[in-house]
Amino acid sequence: MKVLAMQMRRELWEHRSLWIAPLLVALLLLGGVATLGRIQFYEGPARPAVANSPFQLMLLGWGVPFYLAAGVVVVVYLLDCLYGERRDRSILFWRSMPVSDTETVLAKLLVGLVVVPYATFALAALTSAIASAILALRHHVLVNGQIAPLWDTLTWLRMQGVMLYGLTVLLLWYAPYAAYLMLASAWARRSPYAWAFVPPVLLAMCENMVFGTNYLGRIVERGFNQVLRLAFNLNQQLAYSIGDAVPLPRSPAGGGTRPPAGGGVTELLLSPQLWLGLLAAALMLLLVIRLRRYRDDA
Amino acid sequence: MASIVEVHGLTKRFGSLLALDQVSFNVSAGRIFGLIGRNGAGKTTLLKAILGLTTYQGSVRVFGLEAARDRAALMSEICFIADTGVLPRWLRVDHAIDYVEGVHPRFDRARAEAVLAGTAIPRRGRIGELSKGMITQLHLALILAIDARLLVLDEPTLGLDLIYRRQFYDTLLSDYLDKERTILLTTHQVEEVENLLTDVLFIDHGRVVLDAAVEDLPRRFLQLEVAVGKREAARALKPFYSREVFGRPVMLFENQPRELLAELGEVRAPAIGDLFVAKLSAAAGPAAAAAAAGEAA
Repeated sequence: MKVLAMQMRRELWEHRSLWIAPLLVALLLLGGVATLGRIQFYEGPARPAVANSPFQLMLLGWGVPFYLAAGVVVVVYLLDCLYGERRDRSILFWRSMPVSDTETVLAKLLVGLVVVPYATFALAALTSAIASAILALRHHVLVNGQIAPLWDTLTWLRMQGVMLYGLTVLLLWYAPYAAYLMLASAWARRSPYAWAFVPPVLLAMCENMVFGTNYLGRIVERGFNQVLRLAFNLNQQLAYSIGDAVPLPRSPAGGGTRPPAGGGVTELLLSPQLWLGLLAAALMLLLVIRLRRYRDDA
Repeated sequence: MASIVEVHGLTKRFGSLLALDQVSFNVSAGRIFGLIGRNGAGKTTLLKAILGLTTYQGSVRVFGLEAARDRAALMSEICFIADTGVLPRWLRVDHAIDYVEGVHPRFDRARAEAVLAGTAIPRRGRIGELSKGMITQLHLALILAIDARLLVLDEPTLGLDLIYRRQFYDTLLSDYLDKERTILLTTHQVEEVENLLTDVLFIDHGRVVLDAAVEDLPRRFLQLEVAVGKREAARALKPFYSREVFGRPVMLFENQPRELLAELGEVRAPAIGDLFVAKLSAAAGPAAAAAAAGEAA
Protein backbone atom coordinates (compact mmCIF):
# COMPACT_ATOMS: atom_id res chain seq x y z
CA MET A 1 0.00 0.00 0.00
CA LYS A 2 2.84 2.34 0.92
CA VAL A 3 4.58 1.42 -2.32
CA LEU A 4 1.44 2.06 -4.35
CA ALA A 5 0.94 5.46 -2.69
CA MET A 6 4.55 6.46 -3.40
CA GLN A 7 4.21 5.22 -6.98
CA MET A 8 1.20 7.51 -7.42
CA ARG A 9 3.01 10.50 -5.87
CA ARG A 10 5.81 9.89 -8.34
CA GLU A 11 3.32 10.15 -11.21
CA LEU A 12 2.14 13.53 -9.94
CA TRP A 13 5.76 14.71 -9.70
CA GLU A 14 6.39 13.78 -13.29
CA HIS A 15 3.11 14.91 -14.82
CA ARG A 16 2.56 18.20 -13.07
CA SER A 17 -0.10 19.26 -15.56
CA LEU A 18 -2.39 16.70 -13.90
CA TRP A 19 -2.87 18.97 -10.90
CA ILE A 20 -1.85 22.30 -12.38
CA ALA A 21 -4.57 22.29 -15.07
CA PRO A 22 -7.58 21.87 -12.73
CA LEU A 23 -6.08 24.36 -10.26
CA LEU A 24 -5.59 26.86 -13.05
CA VAL A 25 -9.22 26.48 -14.09
CA ALA A 26 -10.27 27.05 -10.46
CA LEU A 27 -8.16 30.20 -10.22
CA LEU A 28 -9.42 31.58 -13.54
CA LEU A 29 -13.07 30.92 -12.76
CA LEU A 30 -12.94 32.25 -9.23
CA GLY A 31 -10.97 35.26 -10.43
CA GLY A 32 -13.56 35.88 -13.10
CA VAL A 33 -16.47 35.56 -10.70
CA ALA A 34 -14.79 37.86 -8.20
CA THR A 35 -13.88 40.63 -10.64
CA LEU A 36 -16.49 40.67 -13.40
CA GLY A 37 -19.95 42.15 -13.03
CA ARG A 38 -20.96 44.64 -10.41
CA ILE A 39 -22.33 44.55 -6.94
CA GLN A 40 -25.99 45.35 -6.99
CA PHE A 41 -28.01 44.98 -3.87
CA TYR A 42 -31.68 44.29 -4.32
CA GLU A 43 -33.71 46.98 -2.70
CA GLY A 44 -37.26 46.18 -3.65
CA PRO A 45 -39.87 44.58 -1.46
CA ALA A 46 -39.32 40.98 -0.43
CA ARG A 47 -40.61 38.59 -3.03
CA PRO A 48 -40.86 34.87 -2.84
CA ALA A 49 -37.92 33.13 -4.43
CA VAL A 50 -38.69 31.09 -7.48
CA ALA A 51 -37.12 27.99 -8.92
CA ASN A 52 -33.61 27.23 -7.94
CA SER A 53 -32.88 25.78 -11.37
CA PRO A 54 -30.54 28.64 -12.34
CA PHE A 55 -28.49 27.63 -9.33
CA GLN A 56 -28.53 24.03 -10.47
CA LEU A 57 -27.57 24.98 -13.99
CA MET A 58 -24.76 27.11 -12.67
CA LEU A 59 -23.49 24.18 -10.60
CA LEU A 60 -23.59 21.88 -13.63
CA GLY A 61 -21.95 24.44 -15.89
CA TRP A 62 -19.33 25.24 -13.27
CA GLY A 63 -17.98 21.69 -13.41
CA VAL A 64 -17.62 21.61 -17.23
CA PRO A 65 -14.32 23.52 -17.61
CA PHE A 66 -12.82 21.49 -14.76
CA TYR A 67 -13.69 18.17 -16.36
CA LEU A 68 -12.63 19.32 -19.83
CA ALA A 69 -9.23 20.38 -18.52
CA ALA A 70 -8.83 17.21 -16.46
CA GLY A 71 -9.96 15.09 -19.42
CA VAL A 72 -7.36 16.57 -21.74
CA VAL A 73 -4.47 16.22 -19.28
CA VAL A 74 -5.51 12.67 -18.37
CA VAL A 75 -5.54 11.61 -22.04
CA VAL A 76 -2.11 13.15 -22.55
CA TYR A 77 -0.93 11.51 -19.33
CA LEU A 78 -2.18 8.04 -20.19
CA LEU A 79 -0.53 8.22 -23.60
CA ASP A 80 2.81 9.22 -22.09
CA CYS A 81 2.87 7.25 -18.85
CA LEU A 82 4.46 4.08 -20.23
CA TYR A 83 6.17 5.59 -23.25
CA GLY A 84 8.08 8.42 -21.59
CA GLU A 85 9.98 6.12 -19.25
CA ARG A 86 11.22 4.10 -22.21
CA ARG A 87 12.04 7.17 -24.26
CA ASP A 88 14.37 8.58 -21.58
CA ARG A 89 15.51 5.10 -20.44
CA SER A 90 14.52 5.92 -16.87
CA ILE A 91 12.58 2.64 -16.95
CA LEU A 92 15.91 1.00 -16.02
CA PHE A 93 15.92 3.04 -12.82
CA TRP A 94 12.26 2.40 -12.00
CA ARG A 95 12.68 -1.29 -12.65
CA SER A 96 15.76 -1.43 -10.43
CA MET A 97 13.45 -0.81 -7.49
CA PRO A 98 11.47 -3.58 -5.78
CA VAL A 99 8.19 -2.51 -7.37
CA SER A 100 6.36 -5.02 -9.55
CA ASP A 101 5.15 -4.12 -13.02
CA THR A 102 1.60 -4.80 -11.86
CA GLU A 103 1.93 -2.23 -9.07
CA THR A 104 3.41 0.30 -11.47
CA VAL A 105 0.69 -0.09 -14.09
CA LEU A 106 -2.02 -0.08 -11.41
CA ALA A 107 -0.65 3.13 -9.91
CA LYS A 108 -0.71 4.82 -13.31
CA LEU A 109 -4.26 3.66 -13.97
CA LEU A 110 -5.42 4.83 -10.53
CA VAL A 111 -3.86 8.25 -11.05
CA GLY A 112 -5.63 8.66 -14.41
CA LEU A 113 -8.99 7.14 -13.50
CA VAL A 114 -9.39 7.81 -9.77
CA VAL A 115 -7.02 10.37 -8.29
CA VAL A 116 -7.28 13.10 -10.91
CA PRO A 117 -11.04 12.75 -11.67
CA TYR A 118 -12.16 12.68 -8.05
CA ALA A 119 -9.72 15.37 -6.95
CA THR A 120 -11.07 17.48 -9.80
CA PHE A 121 -14.59 16.74 -8.62
CA ALA A 122 -13.70 17.85 -5.08
CA LEU A 123 -12.07 21.00 -6.42
CA ALA A 124 -15.08 21.82 -8.61
CA ALA A 125 -17.45 21.23 -5.68
CA LEU A 126 -15.45 23.39 -3.29
CA THR A 127 -15.01 26.25 -5.73
CA SER A 128 -18.68 26.14 -6.74
CA ALA A 129 -19.57 26.84 -3.11
CA ILE A 130 -17.11 29.72 -2.95
CA ALA A 131 -18.33 31.09 -6.27
CA SER A 132 -21.93 30.92 -5.08
CA ALA A 133 -21.04 32.96 -2.04
CA ILE A 134 -19.30 35.58 -4.19
CA LEU A 135 -22.12 35.67 -6.69
CA ALA A 136 -24.73 36.02 -3.96
CA LEU A 137 -22.92 39.14 -2.85
CA ARG A 138 -22.34 40.62 -6.27
CA HIS A 139 -25.34 39.76 -8.37
CA HIS A 140 -28.97 39.01 -8.38
CA VAL A 141 -30.16 36.52 -10.86
CA LEU A 142 -33.64 37.31 -11.98
CA VAL A 143 -36.01 34.75 -13.37
CA ASN A 144 -39.29 36.11 -14.73
CA GLY A 145 -38.60 39.24 -12.78
CA GLN A 146 -38.20 37.36 -9.55
CA ILE A 147 -35.02 36.72 -7.62
CA ALA A 148 -33.63 33.26 -7.95
CA PRO A 149 -31.74 32.05 -4.91
CA LEU A 150 -28.02 31.55 -5.39
CA TRP A 151 -27.54 29.20 -2.56
CA ASP A 152 -29.44 26.22 -1.31
CA THR A 153 -27.48 23.69 0.67
CA LEU A 154 -29.79 20.83 -0.13
CA THR A 155 -29.70 21.56 -3.85
CA TRP A 156 -25.94 21.93 -3.74
CA LEU A 157 -25.56 18.58 -2.02
CA ARG A 158 -27.96 16.91 -4.40
CA MET A 159 -26.20 18.33 -7.44
CA GLN A 160 -22.85 17.14 -6.11
CA GLY A 161 -24.44 13.72 -5.75
CA VAL A 162 -25.63 13.86 -9.37
CA MET A 163 -22.21 14.83 -10.58
CA LEU A 164 -20.40 12.29 -8.45
CA TYR A 165 -22.65 9.59 -9.81
CA GLY A 166 -22.27 10.84 -13.37
CA LEU A 167 -18.52 10.98 -12.97
CA THR A 168 -18.34 7.44 -11.64
CA VAL A 169 -20.51 6.16 -14.48
CA LEU A 170 -18.36 7.96 -17.03
CA LEU A 171 -15.17 6.57 -15.54
CA LEU A 172 -16.48 3.00 -15.61
CA TRP A 173 -17.81 3.50 -19.12
CA TYR A 174 -14.58 5.00 -20.40
CA ALA A 175 -12.23 2.64 -18.52
CA PRO A 176 -11.56 0.57 -21.70
CA TYR A 177 -10.45 3.72 -23.54
CA ALA A 178 -8.08 4.56 -20.71
CA ALA A 179 -6.69 1.03 -20.91
CA TYR A 180 -6.36 1.36 -24.68
CA LEU A 181 -4.42 4.60 -24.35
CA MET A 182 -2.09 2.92 -21.86
CA LEU A 183 -1.68 0.04 -24.27
CA ALA A 184 -0.72 2.46 -27.05
CA SER A 185 1.74 4.07 -24.64
CA ALA A 186 3.29 0.74 -23.68
CA TRP A 187 3.36 -0.51 -27.25
CA ALA A 188 4.60 2.47 -29.27
CA ARG A 189 8.23 2.69 -30.27
CA ARG A 190 7.87 6.18 -31.64
CA SER A 191 4.54 7.92 -31.41
CA PRO A 192 1.92 6.67 -28.95
CA TYR A 193 -0.46 9.27 -30.39
CA ALA A 194 -0.31 7.65 -33.81
CA TRP A 195 -0.89 4.22 -32.25
CA ALA A 196 -3.82 5.52 -30.28
CA PHE A 197 -5.63 7.31 -33.08
CA VAL A 198 -4.58 5.96 -36.47
CA PRO A 199 -5.30 2.19 -36.30
CA PRO A 200 -8.96 2.47 -35.23
CA VAL A 201 -9.67 5.03 -37.96
CA LEU A 202 -7.72 3.20 -40.67
CA LEU A 203 -9.28 -0.16 -39.89
CA ALA A 204 -12.76 1.28 -39.93
CA MET A 205 -12.07 3.04 -43.25
CA CYS A 206 -10.64 -0.12 -44.81
CA GLU A 207 -13.63 -2.16 -43.72
CA ASN A 208 -15.96 0.40 -45.17
CA MET A 209 -14.13 0.52 -48.51
CA VAL A 210 -13.60 -3.21 -48.90
CA PHE A 211 -16.79 -4.67 -47.51
CA GLY A 212 -18.99 -1.63 -47.56
CA THR A 213 -19.96 -2.41 -43.98
CA ASN A 214 -19.38 -0.48 -40.82
CA TYR A 215 -19.25 -3.06 -38.04
CA LEU A 216 -15.87 -1.93 -36.88
CA GLY A 217 -16.89 1.68 -37.19
CA ARG A 218 -19.74 0.97 -34.85
CA ILE A 219 -17.47 -0.78 -32.39
CA VAL A 220 -15.03 2.04 -32.71
CA GLU A 221 -17.81 4.52 -32.20
CA ARG A 222 -18.82 2.67 -29.10
CA GLY A 223 -15.37 1.65 -28.05
CA PHE A 224 -13.04 4.36 -29.17
CA ASN A 225 -15.43 7.23 -29.53
CA GLN A 226 -13.74 9.11 -26.76
CA VAL A 227 -10.57 9.13 -28.77
CA LEU A 228 -12.19 10.71 -31.80
CA ARG A 229 -14.99 12.93 -30.84
CA LEU A 230 -17.16 11.67 -28.06
CA ALA A 231 -15.03 13.10 -25.32
CA PHE A 232 -17.52 15.90 -25.48
CA ASN A 233 -20.54 13.87 -26.34
CA LEU A 234 -22.37 11.76 -23.81
CA ASN A 235 -23.35 8.34 -24.91
CA GLN A 236 -27.08 8.15 -25.44
CA GLN A 237 -27.65 5.39 -22.97
CA LEU A 238 -25.39 7.02 -20.47
CA ALA A 239 -27.22 10.31 -20.60
CA TYR A 240 -30.40 8.37 -20.19
CA SER A 241 -29.02 6.55 -17.18
CA ILE A 242 -27.89 9.70 -15.47
CA GLY A 243 -31.10 11.49 -16.27
CA ASP A 244 -33.16 8.76 -14.80
CA ALA A 245 -31.03 8.01 -11.83
CA VAL A 246 -30.92 11.50 -10.44
CA PRO A 247 -33.42 13.59 -12.31
CA LEU A 248 -33.13 17.30 -12.68
CA PRO A 249 -36.28 19.11 -11.68
CA ARG A 250 -38.40 19.92 -14.70
CA SER A 251 -40.81 22.42 -13.32
CA PRO A 252 -40.34 25.20 -10.82
CA ALA A 253 -43.09 23.75 -8.72
CA GLY A 254 -41.28 20.44 -8.54
CA GLY A 255 -38.41 22.09 -6.75
CA GLY A 256 -36.20 19.13 -7.42
CA THR A 257 -38.09 16.92 -5.02
CA ARG A 258 -39.28 14.38 -7.57
CA PRO A 259 -38.07 11.00 -6.32
CA PRO A 260 -35.55 9.30 -8.55
CA ALA A 261 -37.18 7.12 -11.11
CA GLY A 262 -36.02 3.55 -10.74
CA GLY A 263 -33.96 1.83 -13.40
CA GLY A 264 -30.97 4.14 -14.06
CA VAL A 265 -28.37 2.42 -11.93
CA THR A 266 -29.90 -1.02 -12.35
CA GLU A 267 -30.14 -0.63 -16.09
CA LEU A 268 -26.57 0.50 -16.26
CA LEU A 269 -25.32 -2.33 -14.07
CA LEU A 270 -27.26 -4.81 -16.18
CA SER A 271 -26.04 -3.46 -19.49
CA PRO A 272 -23.66 -5.87 -21.21
CA GLN A 273 -21.79 -2.95 -22.83
CA LEU A 274 -20.56 -1.80 -19.44
CA TRP A 275 -19.30 -5.23 -18.44
CA LEU A 276 -17.84 -6.04 -21.83
CA GLY A 277 -16.05 -2.72 -21.70
CA LEU A 278 -14.64 -3.46 -18.26
CA LEU A 279 -13.60 -6.92 -19.39
CA ALA A 280 -11.82 -5.40 -22.41
CA ALA A 281 -10.13 -2.92 -20.08
CA ALA A 282 -8.91 -5.71 -17.80
CA LEU A 283 -7.54 -7.71 -20.74
CA MET A 284 -5.74 -4.70 -22.17
CA LEU A 285 -4.23 -3.91 -18.77
CA LEU A 286 -2.92 -7.47 -18.51
CA LEU A 287 -1.30 -6.93 -21.88
CA VAL A 288 0.16 -3.61 -20.72
CA ILE A 289 1.71 -5.31 -17.67
CA ARG A 290 3.18 -8.04 -19.85
CA LEU A 291 4.58 -5.50 -22.30
CA ARG A 292 6.25 -3.51 -19.54
CA ARG A 293 7.63 -6.68 -18.05
CA TYR A 294 9.05 -8.35 -21.12
CA ARG A 295 9.99 -5.52 -23.45
CA ASP A 296 13.65 -4.69 -23.35
CA ASP A 297 14.17 -1.98 -25.94
CA ALA A 298 15.08 0.69 -23.39
CA MET B 1 31.55 -20.26 -0.66
CA ALA B 2 27.87 -20.03 -1.54
CA SER B 3 27.02 -18.91 -5.04
CA ILE B 4 24.85 -15.83 -5.22
CA VAL B 5 24.48 -15.87 -8.98
CA GLU B 6 24.28 -19.13 -10.93
CA VAL B 7 24.08 -18.82 -14.70
CA HIS B 8 23.70 -21.95 -16.74
CA GLY B 9 23.36 -22.32 -20.51
CA LEU B 10 22.17 -18.73 -20.89
CA THR B 11 21.27 -17.93 -24.49
CA LYS B 12 19.67 -14.79 -25.84
CA ARG B 13 18.76 -13.91 -29.40
CA PHE B 14 17.70 -10.62 -30.91
CA GLY B 15 16.20 -11.77 -34.19
CA SER B 16 19.06 -13.39 -36.09
CA LEU B 17 21.70 -11.95 -33.77
CA LEU B 18 22.97 -14.32 -31.11
CA ALA B 19 23.74 -11.96 -28.23
CA LEU B 20 24.56 -14.63 -25.65
CA ASP B 21 25.59 -18.15 -26.52
CA GLN B 22 25.44 -20.84 -23.82
CA VAL B 23 26.97 -18.66 -21.13
CA SER B 24 27.61 -20.39 -17.78
CA PHE B 25 29.33 -19.11 -14.64
CA ASN B 26 28.86 -18.60 -10.90
CA VAL B 27 29.44 -15.61 -8.66
CA SER B 28 30.29 -16.40 -5.04
CA ALA B 29 29.28 -14.25 -2.08
CA GLY B 30 31.62 -11.45 -1.14
CA ARG B 31 33.45 -11.23 -4.48
CA ILE B 32 33.97 -8.29 -6.80
CA PHE B 33 33.25 -9.84 -10.13
CA GLY B 34 34.25 -8.05 -13.32
CA LEU B 35 32.46 -8.73 -16.60
CA ILE B 36 34.85 -7.53 -19.23
CA GLY B 37 34.18 -7.29 -22.92
CA ARG B 38 34.17 -4.95 -25.87
CA ASN B 39 31.20 -2.82 -26.82
CA GLY B 40 28.49 -5.12 -28.09
CA ALA B 41 30.08 -8.23 -26.57
CA GLY B 42 26.88 -9.03 -24.64
CA LYS B 43 27.79 -7.61 -21.22
CA THR B 44 24.70 -5.49 -20.78
CA THR B 45 22.42 -8.22 -22.09
CA LEU B 46 23.99 -10.61 -19.59
CA LEU B 47 23.43 -8.15 -16.73
CA LYS B 48 19.86 -7.54 -17.84
CA ALA B 49 19.23 -11.27 -17.73
CA ILE B 50 20.68 -11.45 -14.20
CA LEU B 51 18.46 -8.54 -13.16
CA GLY B 52 15.36 -10.13 -14.65
CA LEU B 53 14.99 -7.29 -17.13
CA THR B 54 14.89 -9.46 -20.22
CA THR B 55 13.70 -12.85 -21.35
CA TYR B 56 16.20 -15.61 -22.11
CA GLN B 57 16.75 -19.31 -22.61
CA GLY B 58 18.64 -21.28 -20.01
CA SER B 59 18.72 -20.70 -16.30
CA VAL B 60 19.71 -17.60 -14.31
CA ARG B 61 19.29 -18.06 -10.57
CA VAL B 62 20.05 -15.17 -8.25
CA PHE B 63 19.72 -15.82 -4.50
CA GLY B 64 17.98 -19.01 -5.55
CA LEU B 65 15.27 -17.14 -7.50
CA GLU B 66 14.78 -17.36 -11.26
CA ALA B 67 15.61 -13.84 -12.41
CA ALA B 68 13.07 -13.40 -15.23
CA ARG B 69 10.19 -14.57 -13.06
CA ASP B 70 10.94 -12.92 -9.72
CA ARG B 71 12.38 -9.53 -10.63
CA ALA B 72 10.38 -7.48 -8.13
CA ALA B 73 11.27 -9.77 -5.21
CA LEU B 74 14.88 -9.89 -6.33
CA MET B 75 15.19 -6.12 -6.38
CA SER B 76 14.99 -5.96 -2.57
CA GLU B 77 18.31 -7.80 -2.54
CA ILE B 78 19.95 -6.21 -5.57
CA CYS B 79 20.94 -2.67 -6.40
CA PHE B 80 21.61 -1.65 -9.93
CA ILE B 81 23.26 1.28 -11.66
CA ALA B 82 23.03 1.19 -15.44
CA ASP B 83 24.84 4.28 -16.66
CA THR B 84 24.44 7.96 -16.08
CA GLY B 85 21.49 8.26 -18.40
CA VAL B 86 18.80 6.44 -16.50
CA LEU B 87 17.86 8.73 -13.62
CA PRO B 88 14.83 10.65 -14.92
CA ARG B 89 15.73 14.24 -15.75
CA TRP B 90 12.47 15.70 -14.45
CA LEU B 91 12.88 14.22 -10.97
CA ARG B 92 13.98 16.50 -8.14
CA VAL B 93 16.87 15.35 -5.97
CA ASP B 94 14.87 15.42 -2.70
CA HIS B 95 12.01 13.61 -4.43
CA ALA B 96 14.40 10.93 -5.65
CA ILE B 97 15.40 10.30 -2.03
CA ASP B 98 11.74 10.34 -0.93
CA TYR B 99 10.87 7.88 -3.66
CA VAL B 100 13.54 5.30 -2.88
CA GLU B 101 12.71 5.62 0.82
CA GLY B 102 9.05 5.03 -0.02
CA VAL B 103 9.48 1.91 -2.12
CA HIS B 104 12.63 0.25 -0.78
CA PRO B 105 12.41 -1.53 2.56
CA ARG B 106 16.18 -1.51 3.05
CA PHE B 107 16.88 2.14 2.30
CA ASP B 108 18.69 4.18 4.96
CA ARG B 109 17.90 7.84 4.38
CA ALA B 110 20.51 9.16 6.83
CA ARG B 111 23.21 7.31 4.96
CA ALA B 112 22.18 8.74 1.60
CA GLU B 113 22.08 12.24 3.10
CA ALA B 114 25.54 11.69 4.58
CA VAL B 115 27.02 10.72 1.20
CA LEU B 116 25.26 13.64 -0.51
CA ALA B 117 26.50 16.08 2.14
CA GLY B 118 29.97 15.63 0.72
CA THR B 119 28.83 16.78 -2.72
CA ALA B 120 27.66 20.05 -4.26
CA ILE B 121 24.35 18.57 -5.38
CA PRO B 122 21.44 20.96 -4.69
CA ARG B 123 18.60 19.18 -2.87
CA ARG B 124 15.77 20.92 -4.69
CA GLY B 125 17.40 20.91 -8.10
CA ARG B 126 16.14 18.69 -10.88
CA ILE B 127 18.34 15.87 -12.09
CA GLY B 128 18.33 17.38 -15.58
CA GLU B 129 20.16 20.40 -14.18
CA LEU B 130 22.99 18.34 -12.68
CA SER B 131 26.25 17.50 -14.40
CA LYS B 132 26.91 13.94 -15.51
CA GLY B 133 29.31 13.46 -12.61
CA MET B 134 26.78 14.74 -10.10
CA ILE B 135 24.09 12.43 -11.45
CA THR B 136 26.40 9.47 -10.93
CA GLN B 137 27.23 10.70 -7.42
CA LEU B 138 23.53 10.95 -6.65
CA HIS B 139 22.80 7.52 -8.06
CA LEU B 140 25.67 6.02 -6.07
CA ALA B 141 24.47 7.77 -2.89
CA LEU B 142 20.99 6.31 -3.39
CA ILE B 143 22.29 2.84 -4.14
CA LEU B 144 24.88 2.66 -1.36
CA ALA B 145 22.22 3.66 1.17
CA ILE B 146 20.36 0.46 0.32
CA ASP B 147 21.44 -2.51 2.34
CA ALA B 148 21.47 -4.87 -0.63
CA ARG B 149 23.54 -8.01 -0.83
CA LEU B 150 24.35 -7.70 -4.51
CA LEU B 151 25.41 -4.56 -6.29
CA VAL B 152 25.27 -4.60 -10.10
CA LEU B 153 27.06 -1.84 -11.97
CA ASP B 154 26.87 -1.56 -15.75
CA GLU B 155 29.57 0.77 -17.10
CA PRO B 156 28.93 3.02 -14.10
CA THR B 157 31.61 5.59 -14.91
CA LEU B 158 30.93 5.91 -18.62
CA GLY B 159 31.51 9.47 -19.80
CA LEU B 160 32.85 10.75 -16.46
CA ASP B 161 36.09 12.63 -16.02
CA LEU B 162 39.03 11.11 -14.17
CA ILE B 163 38.30 12.78 -10.81
CA TYR B 164 34.72 11.55 -10.73
CA ARG B 165 35.82 8.07 -11.81
CA ARG B 166 38.37 7.86 -9.01
CA GLN B 167 35.85 9.18 -6.47
CA PHE B 168 33.31 6.67 -7.65
CA TYR B 169 35.53 3.65 -7.19
CA ASP B 170 36.96 4.96 -3.90
CA THR B 171 33.47 5.39 -2.45
CA LEU B 172 32.44 2.02 -3.80
CA LEU B 173 35.46 0.24 -2.36
CA SER B 174 35.25 1.78 1.12
CA ASP B 175 31.59 0.84 1.22
CA TYR B 176 32.43 -2.69 0.10
CA LEU B 177 34.98 -3.05 2.87
CA ASP B 178 32.38 -1.89 5.43
CA LYS B 179 29.69 -4.34 4.45
CA GLU B 180 28.95 -7.86 3.36
CA ARG B 181 28.39 -7.14 -0.28
CA THR B 182 28.95 -8.82 -3.59
CA ILE B 183 29.65 -6.60 -6.57
CA LEU B 184 29.14 -7.47 -10.20
CA LEU B 185 30.37 -4.86 -12.62
CA THR B 186 30.91 -4.47 -16.32
CA THR B 187 33.38 -2.17 -17.95
CA HIS B 188 35.58 -1.90 -20.94
CA GLN B 189 38.00 0.35 -19.11
CA VAL B 190 39.80 -2.59 -17.57
CA GLU B 191 42.78 -0.73 -16.17
CA GLU B 192 40.54 1.28 -13.87
CA VAL B 193 39.11 -1.67 -11.99
CA GLU B 194 42.11 -3.94 -12.30
CA ASN B 195 43.10 -3.62 -8.63
CA LEU B 196 39.53 -3.86 -7.45
CA LEU B 197 38.43 -7.14 -8.94
CA THR B 198 38.59 -10.56 -7.30
CA ASP B 199 37.21 -12.39 -10.33
CA VAL B 200 37.09 -11.75 -14.05
CA LEU B 201 34.88 -13.04 -16.81
CA PHE B 202 35.95 -12.13 -20.34
CA ILE B 203 33.12 -12.21 -22.81
CA ASP B 204 33.27 -11.83 -26.57
CA HIS B 205 30.57 -12.25 -29.20
CA GLY B 206 28.27 -13.64 -26.54
CA ARG B 207 30.70 -16.34 -25.43
CA VAL B 208 32.77 -16.72 -22.30
CA VAL B 209 36.45 -16.48 -23.21
CA LEU B 210 37.86 -16.63 -19.69
CA ASP B 211 36.35 -17.19 -16.24
CA ALA B 212 38.93 -17.02 -13.46
CA ALA B 213 39.72 -15.73 -9.98
CA VAL B 214 42.23 -12.89 -10.12
CA GLU B 215 44.40 -14.62 -7.51
CA ASP B 216 44.79 -17.60 -9.85
CA LEU B 217 45.81 -15.55 -12.87
CA PRO B 218 49.55 -15.27 -12.06
CA ARG B 219 49.76 -19.04 -11.70
CA ARG B 220 47.94 -19.66 -14.92
CA PHE B 221 49.16 -16.87 -17.20
CA LEU B 222 52.64 -15.48 -17.64
CA GLN B 223 54.03 -12.76 -19.83
CA LEU B 224 57.50 -13.14 -21.25
CA GLU B 225 59.65 -10.37 -22.64
CA VAL B 226 61.78 -12.52 -24.85
CA ALA B 227 65.56 -12.02 -24.55
CA VAL B 228 67.63 -11.46 -27.67
CA GLY B 229 68.19 -14.65 -29.58
CA LYS B 230 65.56 -16.65 -27.69
CA ARG B 231 62.63 -15.94 -29.98
CA GLU B 232 62.46 -19.35 -31.63
CA ALA B 233 62.86 -21.18 -28.33
CA ALA B 234 60.04 -19.12 -26.85
CA ARG B 235 57.82 -19.74 -29.87
CA ALA B 236 58.34 -23.46 -29.45
CA LEU B 237 56.56 -23.26 -26.08
CA LYS B 238 53.40 -22.21 -27.95
CA PRO B 239 52.44 -18.76 -26.69
CA PHE B 240 48.76 -18.04 -27.25
CA TYR B 241 49.55 -14.43 -28.07
CA SER B 242 52.53 -12.50 -29.25
CA ARG B 243 53.29 -8.88 -30.08
CA GLU B 244 56.26 -6.57 -30.53
CA VAL B 245 57.05 -3.86 -27.94
CA PHE B 246 59.92 -1.56 -28.90
CA GLY B 247 61.22 -4.21 -31.25
CA ARG B 248 61.22 -6.94 -28.61
CA PRO B 249 58.74 -9.79 -28.77
CA VAL B 250 56.35 -10.06 -25.80
CA MET B 251 54.51 -13.39 -25.52
CA LEU B 252 51.77 -14.70 -23.29
CA PHE B 253 51.66 -18.28 -22.11
CA GLU B 254 49.05 -20.36 -20.38
CA ASN B 255 50.01 -23.09 -17.93
CA GLN B 256 53.75 -23.01 -18.61
CA PRO B 257 56.17 -23.38 -15.66
CA ARG B 258 57.69 -20.05 -14.64
CA GLU B 259 61.18 -21.56 -14.35
CA LEU B 260 61.09 -22.71 -17.96
CA LEU B 261 60.10 -19.26 -19.22
CA ALA B 262 62.58 -17.48 -16.94
CA GLU B 263 65.42 -18.98 -18.99
CA LEU B 264 64.12 -17.18 -22.09
CA GLY B 265 63.75 -13.65 -20.76
CA GLU B 266 61.93 -11.50 -18.23
CA VAL B 267 58.80 -13.11 -16.80
CA ARG B 268 55.91 -11.41 -15.00
CA ALA B 269 52.19 -11.71 -14.49
CA PRO B 270 50.30 -9.93 -17.26
CA ALA B 271 48.03 -7.00 -16.44
CA ILE B 272 44.35 -7.88 -16.79
CA GLY B 273 44.06 -5.46 -19.70
CA ASP B 274 46.89 -7.20 -21.55
CA LEU B 275 45.42 -10.58 -20.80
CA PHE B 276 42.05 -9.39 -22.11
CA VAL B 277 43.55 -8.25 -25.42
CA ALA B 278 45.53 -11.48 -25.72
CA LYS B 279 42.62 -13.77 -24.95
CA LEU B 280 40.30 -12.00 -27.34
CA SER B 281 42.82 -12.03 -30.15
CA ALA B 282 43.61 -15.67 -29.58
CA ALA B 283 39.89 -16.39 -29.80
CA ALA B 284 39.23 -14.30 -32.89
CA GLY B 285 42.35 -13.76 -34.96
CA PRO B 286 44.53 -10.73 -35.70
CA ALA B 287 41.84 -8.30 -36.92
CA ALA B 288 40.00 -8.58 -33.63
CA ALA B 289 43.31 -8.28 -31.80
CA ALA B 290 43.93 -4.82 -33.19
CA ALA B 291 40.39 -3.75 -32.38
CA ALA B 292 40.61 -5.16 -28.86
CA ALA B 293 43.95 -3.45 -28.31
CA GLY B 294 42.37 -0.14 -29.26
CA GLU B 295 39.51 -0.89 -26.87
CA ALA B 296 41.69 -1.69 -23.88
CA ALA B 297 43.77 1.42 -24.44
